[in-house]
Amino acid sequence: MTSEQYEKIGQLYHAALERAPTERAAFLAEACGADKVLHNEVVSLLAAHAQASTFIERLPDDLAAGWQAAAIALPKQSFSHYRMLSPLGQGGMGEVWLAEDTQLGRKVAVKLLPTEFTHEAERVRRFAQEARAASALNHPNIITIHEIGQTEDTHYIVTEYVEGETLRQRMTQQQLQPITALELATQIATALTAAHEAGIIHRDIKPENVMVRRDGIVKVLDFGLAKLTETAPHGTDSQASTLVKNSTASGMVMGTPRYMSPEQARGEKVDERTDIFSLGVMLYEMLAGRAPFAGATTSEVIAAILRDSPPPLAETAPATPPVLERIICQALCKDRVERHQTAKDLLADLQQLKKRLEFDVEMKQELEPSRSAELLRLPAETEPKVFKTKTRISIAVLVVLLIGAIGLGAYFLSAGKKSLSAVGKKSLAVLPFVNASQDPNAEYLSDGITESVINNLSQLAGLKVMSRNSAFRFKNHQTDPRNIAAQLGVEALITGDIKQLGDKFIINVRLIDASDDSQIWGQQYVKTSGDVIAAQNEIAQAVANNLRLKLTASEQKRLAKNYTENAEAYQLYLRGRFHVFKLTPPEVSQGIAYFQQAIALDQNYALAYAGLAEAYRSLALGAEMLPAEFLPKSRAAANKAIEIDEAFSEGHGALGASLFWEWQWVEAENQLKRAIELSPRDTNAHIFYAHLLSNTGRHTEALAEAKRARELDPLFPFVNALEGQFLLHAGRTDEALTRLQKTFDLAPNFWMPHLFASSVYIEKGLYAEAVMEAHKARELSPAQTFSMSCESYALAKSGKPAEAHAVLHDLTKLSNERWVPPYNFALILNGLGEKDEAFVWLERAFQQHDPKMTFLKVEPKWNNLHGDPRFQSLLRRVGFIA
Amino acid sequence: METSSQSVSYLLQRWSGGDRAALDQLLPLVYDELHRMARRYMQQQPDGHTLQTTALIHEAYLRLMGQEEKYWENRAHFFGVAAQAMRHILVDYARARQTAKRGGEARTVTLEEAVFVSDERAAEVVALDDALVELARLAPRQSSVVELRYFGGLSVTEIAEVLQVSTDTVTRDWNQAKAWLYRALNRRD
Repeated sequence: MTSEQYEKIGQLYHAALERAPTERAAFLAEACGADKVLHNEVVSLLAAHAQASTFIERLPDDLAAGWQAAAIALPKQSFSHYRMLSPLGQGGMGEVWLAEDTQLGRKVAVKLLPTEFTHEAERVRRFAQEARAASALNHPNIITIHEIGQTEDTHYIVTEYVEGETLRQRMTQQQLQPITALELATQIATALTAAHEAGIIHRDIKPENVMVRRDGIVKVLDFGLAKLTETAPHGTDSQASTLVKNSTASGMVMGTPRYMSPEQARGEKVDERTDIFSLGVMLYEMLAGRAPFAGATTSEVIAAILRDSPPPLAETAPATPPVLERIICQALCKDRVERHQTAKDLLADLQQLKKRLEFDVEMKQELEPSRSAELLRLPAETEPKVFKTKTRISIAVLVVLLIGAIGLGAYFLSAGKKSLSAVGKKSLAVLPFVNASQDPNAEYLSDGITESVINNLSQLAGLKVMSRNSAFRFKNHQTDPRNIAAQLGVEALITGDIKQLGDKFIINVRLIDASDDSQIWGQQYVKTSGDVIAAQNEIAQAVANNLRLKLTASEQKRLAKNYTENAEAYQLYLRGRFHVFKLTPPEVSQGIAYFQQAIALDQNYALAYAGLAEAYRSLALGAEMLPAEFLPKSRAAANKAIEIDEAFSEGHGALGASLFWEWQWVEAENQLKRAIELSPRDTNAHIFYAHLLSNTGRHTEALAEAKRARELDPLFPFVNALEGQFLLHAGRTDEALTRLQKTFDLAPNFWMPHLFASSVYIEKGLYAEAVMEAHKARELSPAQTFSMSCESYALAKSGKPAEAHAVLHDLTKLSNERWVPPYNFALILNGLGEKDEAFVWLERAFQQHDPKMTFLKVEPKWNNLHGDPRFQSLLRRVGFIA
Repeated sequence: METSSQSVSYLLQRWSGGDRAALDQLLPLVYDELHRMARRYMQQQPDGHTLQTTALIHEAYLRLMGQEEKYWENRAHFFGVAAQAMRHILVDYARARQTAKRGGEARTVTLEEAVFVSDERAAEVVALDDALVELARLAPRQSSVVELRYFGGLSVTEIAEVLQVSTDTVTRDWNQAKAWLYRALNRRD
């Protein structure tokens, strides 16, 4: 709905309310006429009015009271530069509050440590040291600590605020699928590996200390915190009772003993293998829905940890692959010598299994597509190691391995080193995601997701995102990222790949700091085709988070915007885009068919309508196919897009471009200006606006707009070529040539700059060069015929009328097979000095609404006709003169 | 840190003169004061008595502006800012409560809070906030009217003053917005 529609509804709504209830139906029937949508809206609003009598009339005093009651629990409403917002949780380790860091304007979590743990200064110091060390790893799976501080009486820890749920919450909702549990455990193991390698042991791994973000990223909390509460090691001969007594005495040394390792329960000195045991307990619980060592009391639980074997997973979670059960069994060995000796070993096993599960899905689906439900069960006799030697390891797996390896190495932005331009705008380019599927036809998806992510991120004012056009120059390039970033002038890059496995898409994404090629963030998404739409939003969101962008509420909303919720329509749209970008008429037509299918599934898919508008325009202009048919279609599709969403800039841009070629100067200008207002970084809107300004003779403004477009999209050949043409229109032929020369360098096989160069050479009287360039353009793009015009015109001007006639003859022959712009004939005839005949053709061009007539005013090849009243008449009728 | 009433008064004048940046400076001041007051008040009232929304805002006004504010317009504009601050506070709080409720073992909701707020109310306010964002796109003024009245407790006359429109317009805006929001919230379910 647009605001205009809303206002209209409001007028009728109030008018109806002023009438007696019995008269309303008749009134609305008349007032709305055939507009059923309007009628229904008003009627439904009136119905809501009738029911809404007390709705929101009472102020939310109860909520205010609850908030005040919560506020009392605060030690201070704010301290240092943190403002407490609301309580997040409460546990043995103290209260946790959501707070705002007023200096940096970000949300943080503040944990207030109970004084009973903080009275020993030495203990606090050791805890702080360890917590800082873990945070300094800057590991994506370890929560970042911003500050450890102290007010008069309270110690506090400020960490990044993780929006999501704890693993406990996640497990409470449902028993997890093996693949999910494996994914989560792998991330936890990655965090532990990094910490252990830095000599840091967690000591209190449990589901409450693991946060799962909405995008699936796991964050391990509270490294080092156990240092505050643990009792001094007693040596190997200590009895379990020592600790039991101890833990009951203080009430909650560990909160719960369920995740303790046997050595921990015995109060012995622990090493990294205690964390491995705890992770084993969690993994078991994720799958089985209950802990492996249970008991009614603390001492019963501890007894079970020391003595019992866990119930077999085959009973509680029959879908568990036997290999996974074996991994868990090993992690849960009572004697730590028998466990995985390092987190890295455990991680390797988990990763290998994960890879296998993904492969199994793929292979089974190739063999028996119908039996995909059973896929996650692996044959017991196969050893995971076997797989490693198999040759069939696809790119996706290599990428997974690579990312895993980077994850192990860990180390993204290290503390205090730097962050991307702390001041001012951050800049970033999303490089085309690699299609890692074996099916080359899946390329539409890798291209499409890339474009979607670009579009979503482009909504953020704090981020300069390189446009699709420039970024896609690096498709399939092997160039070093730093080099690409330098060419694009950005600080960071996003790279990714997509692999389709059955009905799953595995999307790997990395955010790279271009200054040193280090990874800021990396993540793997596993999506079904039904929820692949969500991937673009999650990726964009994760990038924004990891760049620490401060988003306004409306940006947050736009970042999460989907133009459709229909997964099938989305994929059809992406297919459409993929074909349209190939630019040849059959491909564009294929693209149109896809857009139409997408629209059939979702009538309100504004983006698909904009795509349709662009595709029709491309047929009319690039392929010179019956503009009288395709331009109105283009306009209709663009109008529809705006009708669905008035604030949709691409809709206005597409409408403006169509209207421009239809000589609707004023309305075209309004639409293009609106597009720019809505989306100031939209290259297409700027360049079409520049085109309109140039063709109407407003050269200074035109060149300023073109420059703006080029700044936004420096490597986009289309923009560079058009700027050359606009310079020609402005009579600045030398500068035009320089710009076109640069365009050749950017895209040697792009026809446009050659065609424009031909025109520039004609103006300079360099006809031989003009003929050559025109010929080149014709070879590169046979679908357009203006190159034939230029070639013939230049031949005529250089005293070769016979050759000029030969080209004219070819063009005439061609016009028997297809529509040829009459304007192109007129131009040749003018070059041959056949003025009257040229006017005949120009008149035809006018009658047929030839889009080429938009050049009538500024094309220098008509300069000889300007004094002729027939020419002035044409200028008036095309709308150049009022 | 106490904020001098002059500076608040000055910022309000700048804001009513159309300076958006002034609002960005005002909001945190009011926001902090509301927090400070809620806390102070609760500490003085061991029986768990709380202030109503309007009372909170009036108290904040008195504390930040003093008794002697000369400009009536400033008073209206102050309430405008306070309504926005209250909206932030209450919506944040309602969201946090919802999250807390969902979380299995994490106990965050104190007994006192549970007495005051029903889950339905928290959910309603969160949904209302979302719907207001959408309404602001379609009819920004209507969204402001609801914010001022529902979160700020302003009277129709005060709202008219803040928004510089007639009281009739405020009434009409409220009427349509209410029906639209009611429908939006009930469709959501």
